[in-house]
Amino acid sequence: MGAQSLPLTPAPLTVEQAEAMSRRQIKKHHVAIMLLHWFNAVVWLFELSTGAALIASPYFRVAPYWYINMVTTFFGSRANMLRFHIAVGVTWVIVFAVYVTFGFRTYVRTSVLHGVRIHEQPAWRKFLALQCILFQNEEVCLDADDVRWLKARFLRVMGRNHEPLPPQGLYNAGQKLFAWLVYLAIPVIMLTGLVMALHLISTMTVAWAVVLHFVAVGLVLSGLMIHVYMGAVFPEEKPAFFSMITGMVSELYAYRHHFKWWREVKMQEEAWKLELQGASGSSGVAPPVAGAGSVAAKCPLERTEAKREGAWTFKRIFRAPEYWPPYVAGAGLGLTLLATFVLMGQGLGASGAFTRYLVAILAWVAPNYAAHSSYWSNYVQPGQSPLIAFLVFEIFGAMIGGFVSGWLAGRVRIAVDKGPRISRRTRYALALGGGILTGYGARLARGCTSGLALSGGAVLAVGAWVFMLAVFAAGFIGAYFMRRYWL
Amino acid sequence: MARYAMVTDLRKCVGCQACTVACNSEWEVPTGFARTHVHATGVAGVFPDLVSSFYVAQCNHCDHPACTKACPTGATYQAENGIVHIDRNLCIGCGYCLEACPYGARYISPTIKKADKCDFCSPRLERGQEPACVLTCTAHAKFFGNLEDPKSEVFNMVYEQGARRLETPEVAIGPNVYYLGKKENVDLVLATFPPHRPRLLAPGEIWRGYLKPFILAAVGATFLGQAVAFFHQLKVGEEEFEK
Repeated sequence: MGAQSLPLTPAPLTVEQAEAMSRRQIKKHHVAIMLLHWFNAVVWLFELSTGAALIASPYFRVAPYWYINMVTTFFGSRANMLRFHIAVGVTWVIVFAVYVTFGFRTYVRTSVLHGVRIHEQPAWRKFLALQCILFQNEEVCLDADDVRWLKARFLRVMGRNHEPLPPQGLYNAGQKLFAWLVYLAIPVIMLTGLVMALHLISTMTVAWAVVLHFVAVGLVLSGLMIHVYMGAVFPEEKPAFFSMITGMVSELYAYRHHFKWWREVKMQEEAWKLELQGASGSSGVAPPVAGAGSVAAKCPLERTEAKREGAWTFKRIFRAPEYWPPYVAGAGLGLTLLATFVLMGQGLGASGAFTRYLVAILAWVAPNYAAHSSYWSNYVQPGQSPLIAFLVFEIFGAMIGGFVSGWLAGRVRIAVDKGPRISRRTRYALALGGGILTGYGARLARGCTSGLALSGGAVLAVGAWVFMLAVFAAGFIGAYFMRRYWL
Repeated sequence: MARYAMVTDLRKCVGCQACTVACNSEWEVPTGFARTHVHATGVAGVFPDLVSSFYVAQCNHCDHPACTKACPTGATYQAENGIVHIDRNLCIGCGYCLEACPYGARYISPTIKKADKCDFCSPRLERGQEPACVLTCTAHAKFFGNLEDPKSEVFNMVYEQGARRLETPEVAIGPNVYYLGKKENVDLVLATFPPHRPRLLAPGEIWRGYLKPFILAAVGATFLGQAVAFFHQLKVGEEEFEK
């Protein structure tokens, strides 16, 4: 296939073509970009979480007081929190300064705008051309396709429309818009941050810097939320997320999502091929084998078929659509349990967290009863919320972990797991009934399968083993009677 | 817990600025600034009913301070004993508190570029000493003590002799520096140096009134949009989405 035969617009692919393209990988990100990206992510996580807690004035505060107190307690004092905020921020400024200084040549090299006759264009195109002059970088310049793409993309995300998306370059229009926002806001954030940290120029300058810092961060935050959602949660763009770890995307993804870039890569590939043939044809020497410094090694298209079949890759372990084998998962659970004993001084649990949620509600609705009931009062300490407990946070961690695991494997969706013979409503009723019985039983036994069987069993508590045997015996018997609901 | 207060006896004050000097040397206040300063009201009235007084200005450690609310970082805070402190490690020198204080008790130190003011000589209190201005006052016109202690001098002056706070109906945030003297003298001080309403500096006013709601709305709208999209994604399921 010659360079001329490459399609100008994305054409429908046959199943075989798509299959072949999905196996080929294209290098999308340089390792420096990936490192910078994750450095940035960590910096933003730290700076946003401390920054929100730093604004304590009731006039300007955005975070709730419990959050501000929590972060303050974590750092020991507000002054320490500010020191951390400034230290991370200054590191960020230095790293970016180094990157921009040494990476600047790359930006100059990719600059465009040759022969664009701006005065002949309509007003909105003039504006589009203007930003190219400003940024001198076609990777972030919005073009006409991008404007159409934005509209179609928004409608598709909202589930309103399923028109095909206009072809995109290395970055899509959403990424370009975000880049725009970031390019404008980052210098403001950095400058105002330095003004505040070093108390520069005048009091009035610092007074304005606080406000501008907040606004610039707020604007980036709303863009950042879309960036994170589109990159990490939205199914169509998931390969983009993994490309930030591996640097690679499949050719199929490139073809479907970044067609213009795909075409450029292919043309480049054809050019390399021609050069190779020319070199071998004229001198009669066999074409150089792909290796460091050879033309083939520079080619951005990399073949991955050569990869060993049984290789333990990131994708194989974490992105497998099947569940993990129970023995591996069991060993993992054991190690997690050991870690909680070492780190938190107590084991895992589930029902205990729900008890505490209930106590929190009870202490709020009927504080007197909660404080004097012989059962509930164990959980109510004056001046301390019953929710400040390891188990409460562990449950959130378990939910997040479960979600991440399902997300990596592409399993996340709202569904009701039920047998074919029963209706949804029956399933709901059975689940509720089973939940009530389990909860009641767990409190009678002073623990559930996690808190009693697992954590207690691990420390060889007799009650835990009796409970475990009872649970399995009851489970076998119960399953026999309930089998009609599942089969 | 103590509730500290200071009383200035306007009948005794001679305006010698000894308190200013003592304070400046104790706390190394930069030249041209002061944590406490004596102002003269000038002469008012028509002969022979003339009134004149001195006004000893300083931080009032108000019950409901306006400065702590305006401080964006929480560097200005009120301790449990009522004393309003500035955490220098947390202050960024934005000057919001200067504008908020009805009594003009604060200044931005040109050396450290941060807000500074009287803290009732807290480090001295911790050592069991009186504030420097009280100790040094040549006319013995300043008194310091705990208002919750009925045996203290200040308790007697405030609750028995009727020492007054410099409050107006508009600005009543409970200052804890009291002034003892003839009614016309205290009235003159109040008329000459009236406290202004707590204000926000212009950038703070814009921040509070427009920019904070705008940013909250922007982030909220984005969040809502994503919630809709995410719910849609969950409903459809990931596998089907790819097709």
